[in-house]
Amino acid sequence: MASTSFSIMGWVGGKRGLGGRKINSIRAQETEIQPSQINLQPEQEEKQTKVKSKPPPVTQPPQLNAKSKNMGVEYGGQWLSSVTRHVRIYAAYIDPVTNAFDQTQMDKLTLILDPTNEFVWTSETCNMVYAYFQELVDHYEGAPLTEYTLRLIGSDIEHYIRKLLYDGEIKYNMNARVLNFSMGKPRVKFNNNKEVQDLQ
Amino acid sequence: MQGRLSAWLVKHRLVHRSLGFDYQGIETLQIKPEDWHSIAVILYVYGYNYLRSQCAYDVAPGGLLASVYHLTRIQYGVDQPEEVCIKVFAPRENPIITSVFWIWKSADFQERESYDMLGIYYDNHPRLKRILMPESWIGWPLRKDYIAPNFYEIQDAH
Repeated sequence: MASTSFSIMGWVGGKRGLGGRKINSIRAQETEIQPSQINLQPEQEEKQTKVKSKPPPVTQPPQLNAKSKNMGVEYGGQWLSSVTRHVRIYAAYIDPVTNAFDQTQMDKLTLILDPTNEFVWTSETCNMVYAYFQELVDHYEGAPLTEYTLRLIGSDIEHYIRKLLYDGEIKYNMNARVLNFSMGKPRVKFNNNKEVQDLQ
Repeated sequence: MQGRLSAWLVKHRLVHRSLGFDYQGIETLQIKPEDWHSIAVILYVYGYNYLRSQCAYDVAPGGLLASVYHLTRIQYGVDQPEEVCIKVFAPRENPIITSVFWIWKSADFQERESYDMLGIYYDNHPRLKRILMPESWIGWPLRKDYIAPNFYEIQDAH
């Protein structure tokens, strides 16, 4: 994996006032993107000797808002991705302002966290997920950049989000557009490690 | 008890092993992987012009992988055609079996599925790649020692 830097991008549903939410807004991406974009440079790049470096197709011009047109990867027609409900990982650079996919920068991974706003996110919990993402990317360094690897990373992040939910770190967003509790029905203190006090 | 095809193969000194008969009375033979290509050609010349099914399975944990071929001899005016079942066993570490695609063309997708699910490499197959799983998948899902990855799926949606 020729990963030299990673851009992590997310947007937070709980930051804005929920009263002013437009439920039917279609382009939710443009309204809710936060400029909190983190570019991380892993240091141990040179140690990986068996990295199957996939050279980014530099001969192609950068694609403006690439859409799937049944073309090859090098033409921006499709991209390596792992898409589940709360985690979308693309092996591409997504401009946080214009949402343009830049498929030519395949050395970057972009994480879009919870695009349907099922949970209430604060910046601390977002940073926990981002840190875990960075940890996973470091862990899978040297693995081939395939959909399988991306799906392993995305699944681990989903399990981590589930753990956060069960630990009470994040909560369901009751104003979400779809309220089907995809990680289990809400309950009181699922992972309560402390002893329950006996009532006297 | 020896079936008709087994007797014919013995008469022509072709190495095989009889595995008995299945519940429909169809003869079952085991053939070594290195003999399989030549015997398949001989069976086609004998008259088995129809590969009814090709499948594969994992015999036992840590054991052999089997590739099974059901052959039928289609002729005019025959309502009980001759059938035979061939099993070819390959070692788990390096399972290579000669493809019968160039003899019976219908083996194409079925051998690809056997490759996809069990990792049997069919030698001389024109386009041997995964057919059901994504091409970047790792592992052979129908082997008995396969461990499924812990992929996230929607589990509790209400």
